[in-house]
Amino acid sequence: MLDKWTAMGTALEARAHLLRLGRLFSETVLIQLGEDEYYLTFEKGHLVDVTPGPSRKTPWRFALRTDAEALEAFWQPIPEAGFHDVFGLVKIGRARVDGDILVLVKNLRFFKEFLALGRDTTSGMEVSA
Amino acid sequence: MSAIDPIVGRYVTVTLSGRTHRIYFEEAGQGRPVLCLHTAGADTRQWRHLMNDAEVTANNRLIAFDLPWHGKSLPPEGFETEEYLLTTEAYIETVLAIVEALELETPVLAGCSMGGRIALQLAALHGDKFSGFIAIEASDFQPAWYDIDWFHRPDAHGGEMGAALVSANISPYAPNAERWNTLWMFMQSGPGVFRGDLSFYTKDESLIPRLPQIDTGKTPVHILVGSYDLTCTPEDAQRTADAIPGATCTVMEELGHFPMSEHPDGFRPFFIDALAKMPV
Repeated sequence: MLDKWTAMGTALEARAHLLRLGRLFSETVLIQLGEDEYYLTFEKGHLVDVTPGPSRKTPWRFALRTDAEALEAFWQPIPEAGFHDVFGLVKIGRARVDGDILVLVKNLRFFKEFLALGRDTTSGMEVSA
Repeated sequence: MSAIDPIVGRYVTVTLSGRTHRIYFEEAGQGRPVLCLHTAGADTRQWRHLMNDAEVTANNRLIAFDLPWHGKSLPPEGFETEEYLLTTEAYIETVLAIVEALELETPVLAGCSMGGRIALQLAALHGDKFSGFIAIEASDFQPAWYDIDWFHRPDAHGGEMGAALVSANISPYAPNAERWNTLWMFMQSGPGVFRGDLSFYTKDESLIPRLPQIDTGKTPVHILVGSYDLTCTPEDAQRTADAIPGATCTVMEELGHFPMSEHPDGFRPFFIDALAKMPV
């Protein structure tokens, strides 16, 4: 899974429009997949660090808590209804967003398009649930 | 084929709650009038594909207007100190004023999202003024699954945030160009307008007890809903249809919350079928 985030970070670097959208986004985001945690640190729209957790010492701005199967369904080329969007996952009860949700909403297009990069990057698809 | 669209746009001046409004409207086609209502945070452009569809306009005169504060309809004089909050009453008054000003004789009313909601309100309260109702992505009531105040803040662009949020309601089957054309309208909506529309859409529950009053024997009601609509889900639409004696409901498997705009080719057959259910 770590490889997957790294591949998505590489894909992000190849998308100038996304870096422009994220130019004010310098935050750490917690992605929780079941028991597994990943702290994704962005600096001005660049993904500069991915640290596996759990960690009680790493501050984060907002968290997306879901499960590996839901995220895999989200990453399908044509996801099923409900799995096609982060807030879809929330609406169908497969995800929760915690923390400073306003920061997420202010950067929503950037974060959604970053997360959707998982549909284009195939390395590291093997997720340990 | 001409490079010029058959759509014609004009303005009509109406008085709403004692105030003058210059309303922008577009039309195309001839025959049975079909009045089309746009969604929250958007405008008449959502209907352009159907208005440019020669088969649809051969026997249907499609008319769409921009609500005050939306698209090319300016807000009323003094708006700069007002908080825009749409209400059921103001929306009903506006639709009826347009029907009268344009001298539309019992048009079919086709509305999407909050336009579908108000279509059902009009079916319950003013059914005699219309011949039938096509309620798209329409339901009895939806509480917000978001904070509507996100979309009107001094420290962020409400339109861009609104577009990023409503993209959740667009189907992955939608062609990319039309997905972004649909989102552009939200990005363009005036400050506080999407929020003011959502205030009506997410807080007014008055339709629920009115649904059984709708007389589908006189004015048919057909509800269309996309599978990928997170805001008005197929379950929400079906629940609403079940509360209206005689109403019909069709689920559109590959569509979302803005079907006529996000995926015109996918929506077209469902709209033609809905028109066929309406009296001529």
